[in-house]
Amino acid sequence: MGIDRRTFIQLVTGGVVGSLFTPVIWKSLDDAAIWSQNWPWIPRLKYGQITEQATLSKFGPSPCSLTVKSVGGSPYVVKGNVENEMSKGGVDAISAGGAQLLYSPSRVNGPMKKVADGKYESISWEEAEKMLSEKLSAVKGQAGKLAIVSGDATGTSSEVLSAFAAGMGSSDCYLMPGDEQAAAVALDNMGGSGQIGYDLDNSDFVLFIGADAMNSWGSVVRNQRVYSEMRPTGEDLKSVYVYAGPFLNSTASSSDKWIPVAPGTGAIFSLGLAYHMLNSGSSASASDFADFKTLVMSRFTPDKVEKAIGVAPGVMAGLAKQLMSASAPLVISGSEFGQGAGAVDIIAATALNMLLGRVGEKGGMKLLADLPLAVDSAVSRTELSSRDFAGYLAAVASDKVKAPEVLLAYEANPVYAMPQADTMAAAIAKVPFLVSFSTWMDETASKADLIMPNPHSFERFDDAQTPYGVGVAMLSACAPVTEPIYNGKSTIDVVLGVASGLGIDLGYESAEAVLQAKAEKAGADWDSLVGGAAFVSDSTESGSLKFAASVLSKAVAMPKGGEIALAPYAKLNVGSSTVAIPPLNCVTISKFELQGKDLFVQINGVTAKKLNVSEGSKVKLTGTGGECVARVHINEGVMNDVIAAPLGFGHTAWDVFSRGKGDNISKILTVGTEPGTGMAVWTSSFVSIA
Amino acid sequence: MEEKRASKQCGGVLPFFIGVLASLVIGWWVFPQVIYSQKTQPIDFSHKVHVDGEGMDCESCHTFMEDGSFAGLPSNEKCAECHEDLLGESKAEETYVNEYLAKDVEVPWLVYQYQPDNVYFSHMAHKGFECTDCHPDVGNSDTLPTYYENRISGYSKQTMKMWQCERCHAEVGTSNACYVCHK
Repeated sequence: MGIDRRTFIQLVTGGVVGSLFTPVIWKSLDDAAIWSQNWPWIPRLKYGQITEQATLSKFGPSPCSLTVKSVGGSPYVVKGNVENEMSKGGVDAISAGGAQLLYSPSRVNGPMKKVADGKYESISWEEAEKMLSEKLSAVKGQAGKLAIVSGDATGTSSEVLSAFAAGMGSSDCYLMPGDEQAAAVALDNMGGSGQIGYDLDNSDFVLFIGADAMNSWGSVVRNQRVYSEMRPTGEDLKSVYVYAGPFLNSTASSSDKWIPVAPGTGAIFSLGLAYHMLNSGSSASASDFADFKTLVMSRFTPDKVEKAIGVAPGVMAGLAKQLMSASAPLVISGSEFGQGAGAVDIIAATALNMLLGRVGEKGGMKLLADLPLAVDSAVSRTELSSRDFAGYLAAVASDKVKAPEVLLAYEANPVYAMPQADTMAAAIAKVPFLVSFSTWMDETASKADLIMPNPHSFERFDDAQTPYGVGVAMLSACAPVTEPIYNGKSTIDVVLGVASGLGIDLGYESAEAVLQAKAEKAGADWDSLVGGAAFVSDSTESGSLKFAASVLSKAVAMPKGGEIALAPYAKLNVGSSTVAIPPLNCVTISKFELQGKDLFVQINGVTAKKLNVSEGSKVKLTGTGGECVARVHINEGVMNDVIAAPLGFGHTAWDVFSRGKGDNISKILTVGTEPGTGMAVWTSSFVSIA
Repeated sequence: MEEKRASKQCGGVLPFFIGVLASLVIGWWVFPQVIYSQKTQPIDFSHKVHVDGEGMDCESCHTFMEDGSFAGLPSNEKCAECHEDLLGESKAEETYVNEYLAKDVEVPWLVYQYQPDNVYFSHMAHKGFECTDCHPDVGNSDTLPTYYENRISGYSKQTMKMWQCERCHAEVGTSNACYVCHK
């Protein structure tokens, strides 16, 4: 039998029919459908063992102790470390994206030097360190030729930097501005030592004056956790919170009462309260109590205070009575945006704590002992905190001080984040050799002559001691939780190596050794710290404080009135002074703060009418050293004659998630000098509007 | 004319049935062998040695984290708790210690049950079931099953399909809404 056409067709037809009763077609279609979902360019998850390791993140305004979950060695999510007292299990809005920030498009991939046309060329670490050594060698031993600024107020890294500066013959090692500076200057003027702390955990009545504890003051995440513990949902409240400040920010809205007080007038508010306390017979054993009492009773009477800041005498008297009748009251003062407050704000608030008998008491204000220095030649933390970088840069800008030959910026972005930003950036531009140790291609790195990237927090050894605001001295530390993704090198290691080459012995050969020594000298167990535990010390400073009445007398002036005050505020989801808007946070930005590329500032209806603007109006805000463009949002949570404006926008570097979005409010802050202390202040910034 | 008729009668429907039969043979016997490639694990790991010999159970190595997430396969760090040095004389252990642990290289195990990335599966939510309800029963075996990789989709033959998940959910009364597994 041959196979003719008919037979062939029958055979094929049979084959097709038969195949319908086999898995060939159906299985192939199913597998092809699955295959079509797995194109090679689709990002794939990494698989492997899931592990957890403790670490520290320093992206926000205060250190945050985290647990990082990794899969196959790659971090993918973070959560709060509840075992650590420093942040009590909280996670700030920047650190929440810490794992994703490892892959941020803004990361600097390796050391780079600036070449022609402002472009950068990748170089080796050997070449970078050689360049740095040569520049530093040329200025060694010459005062005023080297300046260093650190954005890490809590790390032992700043000890290494200050000791290195001292070895180089420079006294110009500074921290970026923060509330701890005003506190350090205040404490010095009051005859105290150590670091001011506040025992929020045990206070039953807390008055915040200016200080936005939920967003920018002190150890923010920890503040939030304490608030949560003291005011558990559905249970009895253990503490009352009152906020005095210019607008209904996160702290005000979390408080039982908000008292509108204009920016920069916190000291007047405090001394107005002191009047009522003194009138009720409060006193304190301080050498200048009589001077203080005379000052307050003559210059801060209820009518004068009402005229100056608009708070009615009845409100002040009622609040003073509440404070005096509470069993563990506490008064905390600070800047509304975590920087720029004067020492007198702290001195005046401390005076209230003294009148209430709350200094050194449980639930009161504490004078915390500094942990021992790891590097012998470093300046003390108290001294470093009190140094005035804004004042220094302002002096360089106005040619009162010669610009240094070399400026090292560690974990700091002064070109963007300093007040009166354009003026300060111009001062930095005078520096012939700018070195950035930033992890990110920020505004300062973009201007630097040499970039030597520090690894991301999760890739390095680091530590954090007693963040400003906490009620006990403490220390946390971390080891790398992942292999470096890029070619970074720990700045401490770089500085130790360069110092050694220049003949400066800092006593250590590696970052790990310095941090271990710090832990050992503090009495902490290094392994426990790296494992996520915090070392906590009850050690406090002894000695009594004075009221610094003479400083108050000189520094507290009644406002002239009639001007529009600027009330900047910082929100963690839009970044900090060192980190721009994290990519994951873009969707969390309010439409009342940013729409498209337009920044929004907030004023109330009365002020809007006075300025002849309405919702959505485009305005130009002009300060002493610059101007900003923004749109108006009407918000009745802002007090009269005040413009509330968000910080953190208007970046000119970084990445598509933050560059060119809105404007930088730091440009229109005005840096002034506080009478009596001489420190630079900028909470009393006024703007004109067109 | 007679010849043509004879041819038609001879062929009849036989070629059709031959075609059907050939398809069935190919479809049910040849095709399943062709569509999967066979792979062997990098190390001849014996679960039995660990379970019977050392008294370990599944969760001794395949652990849950404190927050309920499943740690998956143990890494070198876990294995090194016992195998930092050679414990026995088996070739497999020698290979592991010398080729992987000593070189700090994780073993590229072939996982029989990996789900696509768009599937969210919580082991903790399924903790009431036996491991072997979904996974190959390897606890009493000295060898690991052959890994069959689908040449088209790239997934393992043992990878559980969505209908299997849905059927079980339906049987135990758990929601089959999309978002239960696809976040």
